[in-house]
Amino acid sequence: MENFASLLHGFGVALTTYHVMLMMVGVLLGILVGVLPGLGAPNGVSLLLPLTFTMDPVAAIILLTSMYWGALFGGSTTSILFNIPGEPSSVATTFDGYPMARQGQATQALTLAFLSAGFGALVGVILITVLSTWVAKFALRFSSPEYFAVYFLAFASFIGLGAASPFKTIVSMGLGFAFASVGMDTVSGGLRLTYGFNELLSGISFLIAVIGLFGIGELMLTMEEGLRFDGIRARVRIGDVFRTIATLPRYWVTLLRSSIIGCWMGITPGGPTAASFMSYGLAKRLSRRKEGFGQGEPEGVVAPETADHAAGSSAILPMLALGVPGSATAAVMMGGLMIWGLNPGPMLFVERPDFVWGLIASMYLGNIVAVLMVLATIPLFASILRIPFAIIGPVIVVVCFIGAYTVAGRPFDLWLALAFGVVGYLFKKLDYPIAPLVLAMVLGDKAEDAFRQSMIMSRGSLSIFWSNGLVATLMLIGLALAFGPLLSTALGRLVKPKASSAVA
Amino acid sequence: MISRFNAEIGTATLTAGLGLAAVVGALEFGIGWGDAGPEPGAFPFYIGLLVVAASIGNLVQATAGRRGLQSVFLHKEEAKRVASFFVPMLAFVVVARLLGLYVATALYLAFVMRVQGQYRLAISIASGIAAAVIFYFVLEVAFQVPLMKGPLEAALGLY
Repeated sequence: MENFASLLHGFGVALTTYHVMLMMVGVLLGILVGVLPGLGAPNGVSLLLPLTFTMDPVAAIILLTSMYWGALFGGSTTSILFNIPGEPSSVATTFDGYPMARQGQATQALTLAFLSAGFGALVGVILITVLSTWVAKFALRFSSPEYFAVYFLAFASFIGLGAASPFKTIVSMGLGFAFASVGMDTVSGGLRLTYGFNELLSGISFLIAVIGLFGIGELMLTMEEGLRFDGIRARVRIGDVFRTIATLPRYWVTLLRSSIIGCWMGITPGGPTAASFMSYGLAKRLSRRKEGFGQGEPEGVVAPETADHAAGSSAILPMLALGVPGSATAAVMMGGLMIWGLNPGPMLFVERPDFVWGLIASMYLGNIVAVLMVLATIPLFASILRIPFAIIGPVIVVVCFIGAYTVAGRPFDLWLALAFGVVGYLFKKLDYPIAPLVLAMVLGDKAEDAFRQSMIMSRGSLSIFWSNGLVATLMLIGLALAFGPLLSTALGRLVKPKASSAVA
Repeated sequence: MISRFNAEIGTATLTAGLGLAAVVGALEFGIGWGDAGPEPGAFPFYIGLLVVAASIGNLVQATAGRRGLQSVFLHKEEAKRVASFFVPMLAFVVVARLLGLYVATALYLAFVMRVQGQYRLAISIASGIAAAVIFYFVLEVAFQVPLMKGPLEAALGLY
């Protein structure tokens, strides 16, 4: 009940006219970046972040999280109306959402998507409300070795749970750590890895990397595919909205199952994309109407959307309570927290309860605001995609570069953003995952500090990572996550040598 | 025309090179045990080694699965489209360094609209200038974030 009292206090912090206005602005900007190709949630938050440096942290985080919700909704809209996922995490929504829209059920598909997304997000936020203090209290017992073990666990789960080749995940992650170590060494205060370039003295900002990898890289990919919008005109009719709301309870099993998948993938850094695919796959396998999937089955919209948003919101939990973000966007927001002078992790709950609970309360409000706004403004945003790409494309490019410049006001960052753009294009084409790189860049210094402090504590012996039950358990789970899939495939081959290797 | 195999090999070589750069750069700062625990180069050194090792893993995987990777990575048509997007963007960055971001924005938008969008010259130029002015008011006036400026802004006294 202690949490409940804190939450009420949080509502007191969040419920001001100014904050609600920020939520609306954030949601609108979020829908905009979600709808536009090349601008997604991580990128949009990165672009907006430099403009919040002077704001009060509570107001700033409300603006950024609202943008996040908006972007998730915007991504589903383009999936359904244009068959173009605005976000990687809404790819699975295109499978049934677009067929539904083509059969003239655009309103139903959109309403179902938004409502189930809202439901998923709400489950995620309730989970945060219930668990966060407990996790933070637990994490207060952590010292350096435990922290390093938690970081290890986060990256191990990328290797084990990710769809990409483990080598590619390791390359992406390692490069992130390497980029993070350029510039000042936080332990000794000395400079390193600058190779004699003055421009590298202050390091490589993760924001530049996100803008390049997600923004410019994505745009190059869009251009290569030759952009074609086959949009479906949608007018949201109020009657249809209510009729669709009435059908929602029918999908309660899917809603619950997808929420659980989403929350799990959000807390472990599997991320919203993996969550939505897994949820869609399970819904299809367990449904009585399997053959309807892919041809406009409403359940095929509900499942990925619920999981996507449940993962998106519950990714905030590890970020707040442990300082380990569960998704690329959460990583960017955590970087923002550090720039505002806050230190994400268990101490945040002790030092800045108003910030933490204000944020959690704003997540309830923000999602409700987002569902209402998105239902009201969809026709408007859908019409943005009818503007020719010869205008929209270069405007997005300019916004990306201006965003890169505003991070630190350094001209050199324009070149860095361009270089990251090329890398992002190559990585996306070759199925290298990008999220581990961003996470490693944000966590690089902290992970390295934790490692070095552990080494100092143990005088250079790695055995400190097995020295007590807690740290050993964390390391073991990490190892199991990293090598588990490999072992189970190997075991499967030993047991059934003739079976095909079609292990999902 | 580039095959997927070549693209995989090229990218893996690039990442191995970056990893190697981290290893070489880290050696300069000591990778052993110093007065205050591990020396500054130790962490980047091992991370660099990890990247090199995983890149070699990718090289081996690509070579072993070579037959499955003969699909086309980039068609001529696709390469043309990417280049027609990338080259003006590169020019935008170069011009931005010389003349400031606002002038570069106006020129870049006008150029792309005229050449790729086939809009009339007057409309393209007007849109470019309008966008630059809007950016100016949103950033410098509303958010008070200064952007990189060049000789034109200096001549107009916009500092």
